[in-house]
Amino acid sequence: MSDKTQAIFTGDRCLSCTSCMANCPVMAVVKEYRGPKLVGPAHGRMHFSQEDVEESLNYCSNCKSCDRACPSGVAVSTLNMLQRAEYYKKHEHMRSEDMLAHGERMAKMIRMMPFGATFSNIGMSIGKALGVFSALGLAGERNMPAYASTSFKDMHKRIKQTSASKKLVLFTGCYINDNEPQVGEAFVKVMNANGYEVLIDEGFNCCGSPLVVTGFLDEARQHADNNVARILEWKKKGIPVVTPCTSCSLMLKEEYHELFGEHQMHEAAENVYDAFEFLEILQERGQFNENLNPINQRLLYHVPCHLKSQAIGLPAQNILEEAGAKVVTADAGCCGISGNYGFRKDKYEISMKIGAKLFERVKEQDFEKVISDCGTCRMQIHHGTNIKPVHPIEVLARAYR
Amino acid sequence: MKTSDVIVIGGGLAGFMAAAAAASRKQSVTLLTYGSGSLPLASGAIDFFDAKIPESAIKDLPDTHPYKKIGAKALDDATKFFCEITAQANLPYVGRLSTQIPIVTAVGTLKYSALVPESMDASKIISKSKIFVVEIAGLKDFYASMIIDNLKKHFHDRTFQAVKIDLKLLGGRDITCMDAAQLLTDNEQPLANELKALNATPDDAIIIPPILGVAGNFSRDVVKTQLRADIFETTCLPPSPAGMRLQRAFMKYLQKSGVKILENSKVVRGVVEGKKVTGVVVENVVREKTFPARKVILATGGFYSGGITLRDFDKPKEPIFDLPVFFPEGAENWSNTELFSGKPQGFSTTGILTDDKLRPVDSSGKVLFDNLHVVGANLGGCDKIFERSSGGIAISSAFKAATI
Repeated sequence: MSDKTQAIFTGDRCLSCTSCMANCPVMAVVKEYRGPKLVGPAHGRMHFSQEDVEESLNYCSNCKSCDRACPSGVAVSTLNMLQRAEYYKKHEHMRSEDMLAHGERMAKMIRMMPFGATFSNIGMSIGKALGVFSALGLAGERNMPAYASTSFKDMHKRIKQTSASKKLVLFTGCYINDNEPQVGEAFVKVMNANGYEVLIDEGFNCCGSPLVVTGFLDEARQHADNNVARILEWKKKGIPVVTPCTSCSLMLKEEYHELFGEHQMHEAAENVYDAFEFLEILQERGQFNENLNPINQRLLYHVPCHLKSQAIGLPAQNILEEAGAKVVTADAGCCGISGNYGFRKDKYEISMKIGAKLFERVKEQDFEKVISDCGTCRMQIHHGTNIKPVHPIEVLARAYR
Repeated sequence: MKTSDVIVIGGGLAGFMAAAAAASRKQSVTLLTYGSGSLPLASGAIDFFDAKIPESAIKDLPDTHPYKKIGAKALDDATKFFCEITAQANLPYVGRLSTQIPIVTAVGTLKYSALVPESMDASKIISKSKIFVVEIAGLKDFYASMIIDNLKKHFHDRTFQAVKIDLKLLGGRDITCMDAAQLLTDNEQPLANELKALNATPDDAIIIPPILGVAGNFSRDVVKTQLRADIFETTCLPPSPAGMRLQRAFMKYLQKSGVKILENSKVVRGVVEGKKVTGVVVENVVREKTFPARKVILATGGFYSGGITLRDFDKPKEPIFDLPVFFPEGAENWSNTELFSGKPQGFSTTGILTDDKLRPVDSSGKVLFDNLHVVGANLGGCDKIFERSSGGIAISSAFKAATI
């Protein structure tokens, strides 16, 4: 398994068939991007052997549409990310890149201050109004995600759970911990209803996805090593690590190994589950609690790119449909935000052009709610349509009495 | 997890067609794909047989040939259904099984196909007196002068005019027809204005690369209504807008019909009970997932798509169900050293042999699984490239397997 999935060993499988180009959402709207085939597998091979910079590399959003389009198993986007890291060995980061990569650090600082979340939210609004965002290289059109007054990790301590023999660890991810703790709450309610006690491991770091896409690969490696060591500890105890964030789960399951190639990363990955993947496995074993109020809702489901990449089917759709919901997939491609990509001033317009088809679909409003497993996809849909999506686990949680 | 009535493995032409046909019969369908399939690389035209009418040619084919198993009725029904799907996406096709419609290729030769996107149907060029060939500034692999030199061999006594227009498409990369088609979608007016300026009359033809959008004929309609002359698209190197339009037409149909399309899903084996397949297993990076099904259609392609692999020279394998694979015996029969001669290539006949219901059989002709059907490029017994039958075999075998 290892040699097959580490990205640098996959480049030579490229046949130059152009499938990745035909499916790249960035190429479809940006003339300057030379495309995944040329930048990833082709230029990547030259780049690793001699010093050579492909400037248009910075257009790649790491949405991974190219990886999914590739018939030969080339980890195109990860090859791009490895090259991006090489680029930043010799080039300085912009301040916006530094900020967007280190959301976790920022949140920790804010949590240490009394009323830190409130003040920083006010500060962000003022800063945005004064054009500070723009000066920093952030997209002034967007609101930065507001901090929740209580982080999920603090909230979790107050949630009363009955101790159970079956336990799992919730990997919250930064966005759920700091911005949408209600998703974490919903997760706990659902897992409790299924007989699991939900633990939190304070020792986990940010998965590293924002660091990887902004070229802070050494730091991402530190996060990976720490998280992998902790996941392996839990694995020894027979306790799975589950996350409702699809970019976190993809990073923990697949990208660590693609990027760094250490065998233990793969071993750890075996103990990591997407939230609905986990629930569907329970269902297949006949252990899923089906004592639900019927969900009589029509839901529009935007399937995140990073969920599609995991090859686990569409477990949220299956489970919600079996609970009575009518779930229609949006089938409108990438939302365009791709983590922190769409928050950058120079990428804002690109991200909105990519998302246009999805916004149009959402605005048809032939449903009661929009659902999506990915936090930044939800932010992008909200920004592009003024309709606020929820995580599918919030819908499921409400159905448990 | 719910059991699908039909699981289709493979996202090429055969897989899409099988999923669409099964869905049209009110079956619940799950389509498992790995990679984006062959359509973005394809010309968009469908051939049934090289310059022969299949209905009459079928009679002379050996019994092992896929068309013998498919039969004339499925061929005919499949063609109609294919045209329905494309017409619904405003991508009308012209032709039928027995027609040979000319298409201008990217180098100016003529290629004849049975089913052709309307925008490429060059049969009307014959009646034109003047032919404009329009080159786009910055567009790779399309040279008006070369096309004209070659077209002159087919169309004598015509006036040809090479035109170069600048649609300001250049950014930081060489542009392909796909780029131009994507950039012109919903932004057709600059092209329409340039073509209007040619002052072409109804007696003229305008030949352009396939850049009229990536969704159906919508962009073509905008441009065409503003012109007096007919406009014709050529084929191009991949990625091919005409192939992408076909892919989108199928996707639209599948999505509308509620087919579950799961990308990046590599099927590694089947779940089998005696002669019955009860599901398939998808392997992701860390674990496996079983998808239960009542019927499975294998549309994984041949050598080029990994539907058949060859690790040891005389032992081709079908990797999912380990089906027996037909392969010409004797190394001297594997290949024909004269690549462009009038003879097929032995290795190209490699594939799975089936019964009349397209179920895989062993060397004695015994059906191996009752509810597994093999369609498209992994069917053996003929050199589809030499015969130019791969498109026709793909849609007709898929249609038959899905509607049986």
